[in-house]
Amino acid sequence: MILAGVLLLLALVLPGLPLGEWRAFLLDTAQFAFLISGLALAWDLLARTGQLSLAHGAFFGLGAYAAALSAPALGTVPALLVGGAVATLSSLLLGLATLRLQGMYFAIATLAFSEVMRTLVLKAQFTGGSIGLPVQPAFGGAYPLGGYYLAVAVLVICTLASLLLSKSRLHFAMAATRQGEAVARVLGVPVVRVKLVTFMISAFLAGLTGGVYAMKTLFLSPYDAFGLGRAVEALVIPIFGGLYTTTGPLLGGLIIVSLETWLRLRIGEGYLVVYGLVLVLTILFLPKGLMSLFARRKGARHA
Amino acid sequence: MDLLLQTLINGILAAGIYALVASGLALAVGVVGIVNFAHGEFSMIGAFVSYLLFVGAGIDPLISLGLAALVLFVVGAITYYGLIRPVLAAPELNQMLLTFGISVALQNIALLLFGADTRVVSTSYQGATITLGGISFGAPPFAAFVLSVGLLGALYWFLGKTRLGFAVRAVAQNRLAPGLLGIETQQIYLLAFGLSAALAGIAGVMLSVMLYASPTVGFAYTLKAFAIIVMAGLGNLRGVVPAAITLALAEAFVSTYVPGGGGWVEAVFFLVIFVALTWRSWRLS
Amino acid sequence: MKKVLVVLLAVLGLAGLALAQTTVRVGVLLPISTVAGKAALNGVQLGVDQVNAGGKVKIELVVVDDGNAPAAAVPALTKLMTVDRVDIVIGGLASGVTFALSGPVKQYNPLFLCIGAASSVVEQAFSDYGRFFHYHPWDYHNVAAALSFFKSLYDGGARRVAILYEDGPFGSAGIQTYRQQLQNQGYTVQAEPFKSGSGSFTAILTRLKSFRPDILYWIGYDVDALPIAAQTRQVGLEPKLIYGAPPAWPLGFEKNNLSNDVAGMTAWLPSVANNESRRFVTLYRRKYNEITDEYMAPMGYVIALSLGKAVEAANSADKDRIAAELAKVQMDTPFGPLSFKPSDTGKTRFQGFNQSIWLQFQYLEGSRRPVFPANRAARPLRYPGNY
Repeated sequence: MILAGVLLLLALVLPGLPLGEWRAFLLDTAQFAFLISGLALAWDLLARTGQLSLAHGAFFGLGAYAAALSAPALGTVPALLVGGAVATLSSLLLGLATLRLQGMYFAIATLAFSEVMRTLVLKAQFTGGSIGLPVQPAFGGAYPLGGYYLAVAVLVICTLASLLLSKSRLHFAMAATRQGEAVARVLGVPVVRVKLVTFMISAFLAGLTGGVYAMKTLFLSPYDAFGLGRAVEALVIPIFGGLYTTTGPLLGGLIIVSLETWLRLRIGEGYLVVYGLVLVLTILFLPKGLMSLFARRKGARHA
Repeated sequence: MDLLLQTLINGILAAGIYALVASGLALAVGVVGIVNFAHGEFSMIGAFVSYLLFVGAGIDPLISLGLAALVLFVVGAITYYGLIRPVLAAPELNQMLLTFGISVALQNIALLLFGADTRVVSTSYQGATITLGGISFGAPPFAAFVLSVGLLGALYWFLGKTRLGFAVRAVAQNRLAPGLLGIETQQIYLLAFGLSAALAGIAGVMLSVMLYASPTVGFAYTLKAFAIIVMAGLGNLRGVVPAAITLALAEAFVSTYVPGGGGWVEAVFFLVIFVALTWRSWRLS
Repeated sequence: MKKVLVVLLAVLGLAGLALAQTTVRVGVLLPISTVAGKAALNGVQLGVDQVNAGGKVKIELVVVDDGNAPAAAVPALTKLMTVDRVDIVIGGLASGVTFALSGPVKQYNPLFLCIGAASSVVEQAFSDYGRFFHYHPWDYHNVAAALSFFKSLYDGGARRVAILYEDGPFGSAGIQTYRQQLQNQGYTVQAEPFKSGSGSFTAILTRLKSFRPDILYWIGYDVDALPIAAQTRQVGLEPKLIYGAPPAWPLGFEKNNLSNDVAGMTAWLPSVANNESRRFVTLYRRKYNEITDEYMAPMGYVIALSLGKAVEAANSADKDRIAAELAKVQMDTPFGPLSFKPSDTGKTRFQGFNQSIWLQFQYLEGSRRPVFPANRAARPLRYPGNY
């Protein structure tokens, strides 16, 4: 938690640090890293109820498209909220339909949702279809760091949501639901409501990050915005960092994106081999993700 | 009438490869309990085995079938022994990240070795056609379908009628009791995972003949294979073929009968799955 | 005294050499793990070797992978501009990525030598940017080139065209234009989308059977080439011509019997018989021990050579003086003559090639032979083909 605070503080002051020639590059990379970490935090929230979602790429994409389409009329911040709202609404409908599905069944149902959504956006006219959709920069490009601080803000919101939820009573309801719905029901946990509410919060956050992403890349296409790759990334990062925690996805996201960027610059061709091996080794030697590094040290201190 | 028959045949033949890729995956998921994201990469290795033997030694892919199965059985066994076994007791999500990592690494090793190029083999029978009345279809897809059905039949026979197959099913149903019965769970897992990879390898050789070989050839089919085994019900090997046929028929009918339907194929495929899954979940409770 | 004089002369001579040699750092931003991106990079490096061997100009390359995705390409460009401090960037292969780069490019103002990105959307995005040199033809050039071929097919008796197009940006972008223009030529057209890489075309081809097309025109990727050729025969569609427009063809396709009589469009073939093309093939083979069919390789080579010429003429590393000289460059290339003019729509100021570089080829007896336009044809088109 202290680590999470330090990371966020660092994100806030990063543009002011004397980074020299690497400044612009770092800010660009950091901005994408923040968004991906935010998405991972959102995914992890839902995972706490035991649901493995592959729909987060779709929530991200819906948020991105909704924000991009409404920004000219509404302005940046309201458009982002619209993006979040659209994602939330879709998650409510999806959640109601898939309420009784668990594990892989839920995962594939959400994957199916993603694929169908992508096709709809691809076939629709007002989204620019397969050709893609040009997007206005945040705040009409008035502030050079506007997009960056939007990304920071989204990351802060995701982190706070994650922290608050793990301190709230909902946290126990979520954990109980994850460990066994039948038992949770007996304990008096309103399982349906817990799952739905978490799903909606999670989707809202994913939609927000999507909107900010759109205003950064300035161009959306269905294959990029709804890519399965992003849904997988949203799941890889929390497992890599440490599931059901706040610091885990946060730290994991920043490290994974930095690692990938660094490898691409250093190695170039075939850099993903190393990336894949890092994932494999992490699982073999750090079964609880990066967070087990800290847990172990903490344990040693207590002993 | 001809159009209807032709569409039915198109759909059923397409289901052959689906079923083959999905059965291998179903073995890994159903018996070993591993959601193997690298299954498509095993197919990719099979496709490259076929391609390299063809280019290097002029060996016909038909002959490579057996060899690829053998190679992939070994690859699968090594993967199981070295990487999967240590995480058998770990949470499902960890296993998924592990196999995802393997998949990324394998795909990119292939990229380093062979480049991103799409490569094709050339045989005399790739375009061969069978014509019956007003209906015509390709000999290779038909052969692939027959081979798939034959292999799956052999697999069902093995699981249903042999002692070893019984042991495999016992392990799949209960992870504790077989040990008490003196069945070596570890060896069964090794066997099941190896078989799973071998089936992927055979599918890969077929892909090299009907489509191409490239580092990404396995990907498209893996996603659909996952969907198929989930629709069949995890661990339900017998459900794989009906599920594959249902989905392939849905695809074929949309493409043939709906204007512009080719653009909706994926959506329809996944919509059918979505409806089947949610409908079943509501009916059961 | 004599010694001093010699030393002095030597120093002056060296200084003179140093003065005569202009060094420029150039960023290269390409999707290097794709086939086309790798070919383009090879071509650029080959061209730079040649420029540097001339001794008057020294080009230093900084190569970065654009990951074929906006989220990777934007930071990569930023790094080129701010860390490596290049003034000149060669890149922009895929249209979507290039579009995403338009914002950052305008922010950092490099001289941007664009190798691909045929989409008019990109032309629009760079319309107010003065340092944009676009070498590749625009999509309307591609359409024009294909249509003049279809015109000749119409004269040869073809009336019905079935179009199969992949439903991503590559296949769908020009589809309405194609359909309209073909109808204007007198064709009856039926167009169907498909998902690239799925490998199953029997159902769509069955649908097209009742349409009885003379020409099966497909717009997709290399992965679709063999399945379409095989399954067209298997469903008994029997078109008179299969005409494909992928950005690249599969390796070994020419050796496959199913490729026979399949036609397509490219900007260049290794067999193209002009001096520059022959020279390129020789040099490429010497450096890489193989030859490529990818026209992005000579495209990269041409960009490097033209840049070398411009730097030499400018005798300066200043990007605007180089740009001014580049605008005046006239040279022969493997594609034919190159010079920069305002684009046909007037939106961008420096457009390199146009529809004239495209040629139509047909797979005949195991290799690709130019068949259209007539002045570049090595063989007559086999029509109807045997599928």
